[in-house]
Amino acid sequence: MGFSFMFRSPATVFSAAVILRIVFLVYGHFQDAFSPMKYTDIDYFVFTDAARFISHGQSPYTRDTYRYTPLLAWFIYPTTWPGFWFSFGKVLFAVGDIVAGWMMFRILRSHHKMSTSRALKFASIWLLNPMVATISTRGSSEGLLGVIVTALLWSVLAKRIRLAGCLLGLAVHFKIYPFIYAASIVWWLDGDNKSQGRPRRLDTTNSPYERVRHFVNPERVILAIHSLVTFMALNIVMYSIYGFPFLEHSYLYHLIRIDHRHNFSPYNTLLYLNSAPGTHSSASFELERLAFVPQILLSAVMIPLALAKQDLPSTMLAQTFAFVTFNKVCTSQYFLWYMMFLPFYLPDSTLLRSRITGATALVLWILGQAAWLQQGYQLEFLGNSTFVPGLWTASMLFFVVNVGILGIIIQDAQRKKSIPGRTPPVKKT
Amino acid sequence: MKQRITYIVRDPDAFTPEQLVVKDDFFAVEQVSAAKEHRITLGLSELPEELRKAFAQWHELHIRWASGSPYQAAAPFTSRVSPGLHVFYTPQKTAGDGRLCPLLREIFDSSLGCESPKESFIKMPILSERFSMSASSQFYAPVHTLSDLVHYIQSKLCPPSSAFCTDAAATLHSASYLDMDFDAISHALIINAFWAKAPNASAHWTENISLRGPSDTIEIGVLNNEQNPDPEDIAFAGFLTVLGQDSQPKPTRFQTPTRHYPLPSSKRLSYRTSFAHPTGLHPTLVLTLPERNISPPDSTCKLHIHLTLPRTLFIDKYQFNDALFLSSHHLKSLRSLSGATDLEAPDWVIPQWGSAALFELAVPGSASPDSRIDPGWNVTIPMHLRYLPPFPDSGHRNLEVPWPVVFWACRAEEGTKMSNNPFDRIHLGYEALFGPKTRFMHATPAPIGNGTGRLVEVIQVPVLDVGKVKWVEAGTVGVVLAAFFGLCWILGRKSYAMGVASVEEEVRERKKAQ
Repeated sequence: MGFSFMFRSPATVFSAAVILRIVFLVYGHFQDAFSPMKYTDIDYFVFTDAARFISHGQSPYTRDTYRYTPLLAWFIYPTTWPGFWFSFGKVLFAVGDIVAGWMMFRILRSHHKMSTSRALKFASIWLLNPMVATISTRGSSEGLLGVIVTALLWSVLAKRIRLAGCLLGLAVHFKIYPFIYAASIVWWLDGDNKSQGRPRRLDTTNSPYERVRHFVNPERVILAIHSLVTFMALNIVMYSIYGFPFLEHSYLYHLIRIDHRHNFSPYNTLLYLNSAPGTHSSASFELERLAFVPQILLSAVMIPLALAKQDLPSTMLAQTFAFVTFNKVCTSQYFLWYMMFLPFYLPDSTLLRSRITGATALVLWILGQAAWLQQGYQLEFLGNSTFVPGLWTASMLFFVVNVGILGIIIQDAQRKKSIPGRTPPVKKT
Repeated sequence: MKQRITYIVRDPDAFTPEQLVVKDDFFAVEQVSAAKEHRITLGLSELPEELRKAFAQWHELHIRWASGSPYQAAAPFTSRVSPGLHVFYTPQKTAGDGRLCPLLREIFDSSLGCESPKESFIKMPILSERFSMSASSQFYAPVHTLSDLVHYIQSKLCPPSSAFCTDAAATLHSASYLDMDFDAISHALIINAFWAKAPNASAHWTENISLRGPSDTIEIGVLNNEQNPDPEDIAFAGFLTVLGQDSQPKPTRFQTPTRHYPLPSSKRLSYRTSFAHPTGLHPTLVLTLPERNISPPDSTCKLHIHLTLPRTLFIDKYQFNDALFLSSHHLKSLRSLSGATDLEAPDWVIPQWGSAALFELAVPGSASPDSRIDPGWNVTIPMHLRYLPPFPDSGHRNLEVPWPVVFWACRAEEGTKMSNNPFDRIHLGYEALFGPKTRFMHATPAPIGNGTGRLVEVIQVPVLDVGKVKWVEAGTVGVVLAAFFGLCWILGRKSYAMGVASVEEEVRERKKAQ
């Protein structure tokens, strides 16, 4: 490989990652200055407007479509200062990317027992990924979530349970969906295996009382307390400052939203059909209201229970993948949510081992998206009514492709031995 | 009942006083080419009880209706509003809204989307509380004709078997615009109709006007717009007649400051509106002006566009913060945006009628008057569509968007005296967004309109075709459930197998240990 020299030392890879982001930042700065088409993400203007409202002593929710915790606006408070400070948020998100990449590298080194160059190669899926660098340098906050969630994974694997609890609380406060990780982390923190490497005890012989006592081990209690306290403390502070609009915009909106605008979700057409007045068929049971059932069952219950003890990072990938795939709303920024777990999963995955499977999955995923985007373009820009059959079929196909990939991820995770540090060495490709 | 009828003669050279005939309580015009304004002032006591009761509950109500057909304005009647029905309303602090919406539906259009002022009206933006002369809320609906109003007047207001009243009401069919004003202080309803020209083939007025009742007064003016002696005034000369008092038309000459000022003929500006095709879900309105005529009539003048947008179409105000973006669209700034501006909501969850926007436009730097071909100055305003409800048997629904109004807003020295103008017209939705010392000089919509002679653009909004969705619900649920159970099976199969294996292994180990 021509690039293999790159992966010899962390300094090279991380320098490249930093340079990549600097180039994007500078390029974006120029595009913004000279073109009416902006490089900067629309959401970034939402955050920075919200920060400006905060700096004037107002609520960040004064800005329409600010649907995040006020913490985010506080984080990027310096963007309200004049001059180059406007880009502070993008720099922060980009630094977050790099830190997340560093933690990925550490996890791959210490928990996956990889060589430096191999760990760097897989961390580069994140670090040198132009899509990741673009998203953070355009000023989307998803990158910040990347660093929080990766830090969460790192602290759990490093058995820093107090820190993990705080990070989990913070992550849920930030974006809600990371609550699904609570299940897998709790299940994984099974005092007997992993760290000691002892075989599992035969639970069936114990009385129910003992099983409960066994389940409630100190680590789980510490995690639960720390995450709950962090989560609630943040909420109470934010609620006391910003009142009901905080709850309304950062939580309730996400829970009750019925987003009819076309997006990748399989439920999209159904939601449009059934949320409009007068078109809801009386015979229907508003099945779309139950859409959260398969989503939550898979991502927060069944996948953690079945897989967390084999391989925590892959489980979190599968959970996120299931959550996004079965969500009522799905846009391409959601794909970043699971991309941060790929460096841990891919090394000994079927997708890399079997080139045919991997290539087929990748091609189908891209085709599914392309078909949807083509139909979406017809609707959005040409004004053709492609809702049915085009857009609906495309989103169902994309859904099926994603479910197929999820099936492969689950099977791969099942194959793993229960100790993440003891995965069998894989032939280098 | 007080009436004032004003004819503004189009061609003073072709007019002679012999075309007017006055006899006691009778007045006739013969073959006069003119624009006409007819103003009727009614005391509340002259209205039927239903209306009297309703009006008594309101603080002020101003109705502006403009025809969708292009018309040629005539000074002093140069002000314009977008075609359709505009209602400006201020409730009384203590009273309810009464039957405002039901009455509007009955009078103008039974399908009017007016549920109640609280739900359907939008708040008027007010620039300055102190100088505010604006009503507090606004409503708009695309009402194309006044035929419901004519019918209402004929059946509810006209005395039975009064052919005169019935005929007078019917003339509203051809009105270019119609105003109705009521406020609690004057306790009077003023109805003001304007015709740009006579509604017959020759476009000449031949009419007989006579007093009907003992308490009626009718004042008739036949006026000619004179060259302005004062730069801020308009001047008229002609004849005034008070029926019953004057035995012959009395010559008159007067001048007055005016809020709406005619553009000098050298700077006449006509505009066209269209939407860039394809419109998609993000239509872009294109305003086309002749580039060489866009020069400010005065150095203080700024060109503006005032848009009346039905709720399906909306503007994202956050797009208009960037100077580069604005100038690439030939815009200066978004001066005001009010009403239904939610950026995400579908059409059916928005109770208000829509929104109103005021932009200041950029003007070309140095026009090249030499070039033969005027390339046209295109101003573009990006907008967005809301999702409309699914529709049976069609993938598209038509959305009508009224043409905006375009005008120069200029500094005036004598703002306060403008209301002394007997023809002053306010409550148009935009003049309160400027200071009181502002005068307006209006551009004229192109007579060709949208191509079919109407000042309305039609956008095709893509919607879900209900006729095609038979399988969507079953298909979605079926695929999701199949996927869910498939994943359950993958998860369960292996876990069960591993569970059994690990149990067996442990049992084996225990046996070994024993």
